[in-house]
Amino acid sequence: MDCFFGLKQKKLIQTNNISINYGSLILKFPEIKLNSGDQLLILGNSGSGKTSLLNILGGLISPNTGTVLLNDINLMSLSKNKVDNFRGKNIGFIFQTPHFIKSLTVNENLKLSQYLISEINQSRINILLEKVGLLNLKDSNIQNLSEGEKQRISIIRALINQPSILLADEPTSALDDESCNNVIDILTNLSNEYSATLIIVTHDKRLKEKFSNQIDLNDF
Amino acid sequence: MIFKLAWKNISSRPLSTGLSIVLLSSSIMVIVLATLTINQMKLKFNDNANKIDLVIGAKGSRLQLILCNVFHIDYPTGNIFLEDVEFLTKHPFVKNAVPISLGDAYQQHRIIGTNKNFISEIYNATLEKGELFNESSEVVIGSNVAKKLNLGNSFIGSHGVGESLHEHEDFKYLVVGVLKPTGDIIDELIITPLESIWNVHHDDYKKGSFDLKTAEEHDLHQLEDDKEEHSIHKKEITALLVNYNSPRAKFSIPGIINKKNSLMSADPAIEIKQLIDLIQPAVNILYFLALFIFGLSFFSIIITLVNSMKDRKYEIVMMRVGGASVKTIFISVILEGFYIGFLGSIIGLVLGHSLMEIMASFINFKYHYKFSGLVFDQFEIVLILITILIGMIAAIFPAIVAYKFDIAKVLKNKI
Repeated sequence: MDCFFGLKQKKLIQTNNISINYGSLILKFPEIKLNSGDQLLILGNSGSGKTSLLNILGGLISPNTGTVLLNDINLMSLSKNKVDNFRGKNIGFIFQTPHFIKSLTVNENLKLSQYLISEINQSRINILLEKVGLLNLKDSNIQNLSEGEKQRISIIRALINQPSILLADEPTSALDDESCNNVIDILTNLSNEYSATLIIVTHDKRLKEKFSNQIDLNDF
Repeated sequence: MIFKLAWKNISSRPLSTGLSIVLLSSSIMVIVLATLTINQMKLKFNDNANKIDLVIGAKGSRLQLILCNVFHIDYPTGNIFLEDVEFLTKHPFVKNAVPISLGDAYQQHRIIGTNKNFISEIYNATLEKGELFNESSEVVIGSNVAKKLNLGNSFIGSHGVGESLHEHEDFKYLVVGVLKPTGDIIDELIITPLESIWNVHHDDYKKGSFDLKTAEEHDLHQLEDDKEEHSIHKKEITALLVNYNSPRAKFSIPGIINKKNSLMSADPAIEIKQLIDLIQPAVNILYFLALFIFGLSFFSIIITLVNSMKDRKYEIVMMRVGGASVKTIFISVILEGFYIGFLGSIIGLVLGHSLMEIMASFINFKYHYKFSGLVFDQFEIVLILITILIGMIAAIFPAIVAYKFDIAKVLKNKI
């Protein structure tokens, strides 16, 4: 962690000239430079390539041009297995529709996420569940939860292995106003608390006034 | 954790997993049942067959001669004159030559007219209580007969075996001894001196008595027999049981016997081997059937798991996003195959043994041969291992499907 956060002059996330081609359509993306703990909202209509951008940042797909440096490591230079491992350790994902292992309980899903990367730490799971107010649902089947509850659990899942980066793709679009506020509060508070850099891509206008640092892909 | 995941993944789909397991376990059940039956049959038959080297009786079917006089299942082939075979008792190659005469039964237990050597030399049986018979009408009973009769009891034998067609009401047997359990067929028998049989059938002793089907027929035979006055004073027996004391006997004695017109000899070991060879094709068909169901269940596992992977596409992709390597995904699917194979083989074994136990009680009731579903064989461990391996092999293709999911494409479809 020291090498991650000790060198202030280095950017945690730095993109350079990235673009991706879908047939004849070429999507170019603005440069992103973020320090540890920064929060960024990326707005864009559907088709603006915001999900593609997030997938490139998370190493799920490779851009046609440009580089992504995460803490000075070029994702494109890593092998597939190493990208998977790097992502598991350093990046937490939150999607519009959260998916879990349906046959497992809330607690078992979170334990599985820990197991895949590090060691199972039940007290950490309990602390996080307590923070989002869902400790009472710990042993419920994941399918019995509401969408808002599932989204809160997916935030915990993204944070469970203490990643340095949180990437959220339309985390609030499927939620009503109350759940939306609740989820965004939890997301911003927890990423602050755990010093994770947060990037949200969305077309949800409700989030506009909540973040000072914004990029609008429609303007680009 | 990954074991738990695999377990939960199959147990949360009871219907489709259940189908694979039912198919797998039925094939295992058939294999177990067929193997247990043939193995125990060989064991029981060989055990009893090994006690006697040669059976000499009236001409007819060799197998029938053995089944009747060694296993006490079938009807006699007819009678022979004791004097025709008596020379064997003094033959230098012969250790024992024990005459037996069949004819009556008491509640499905056959009454065997013979001498004491039948008990002490052939079956090595010893007394539990009482003493060996000394005169006509006294009997020694096997340990299982002792469940129905006791020392000092007297009873009336019925003609033939099984249903009481014709009771010899004027002749009562007295139990003077009870034998210790041996595990052999003697446990089911009632043993009495030859004279008892001759006395009870005082004027019809000379014919093979088991071949009577009805009482009327019995009387008819009696009439015919009365005409055959010439043979009335010759003592008859059903068979002579011979044990050799020299390996050379095997090559000389059957030849001597088979030259005589009225006699036939049969080697229990050879006849039983032929009987088993006769049954083997039926057993092979069972194995073939089992193999066919096994093949079906193999494909059923593949289809079940591939469908399961498609249903769980998002779950698998989420695991990948969460840092699960393709190796982890692959192993977790293989583990599902492992569990299906394990469950299928265990359930199949339990079913096979249970069915065997049910069948055994039926066989025991009908033929007095004790089979058991509680006997386990080493092959069953191999069977479990093979089934688990097949389950895991069937999971390879679904596992490849699972790890080949393209994360970005799956996410793009529905997020």
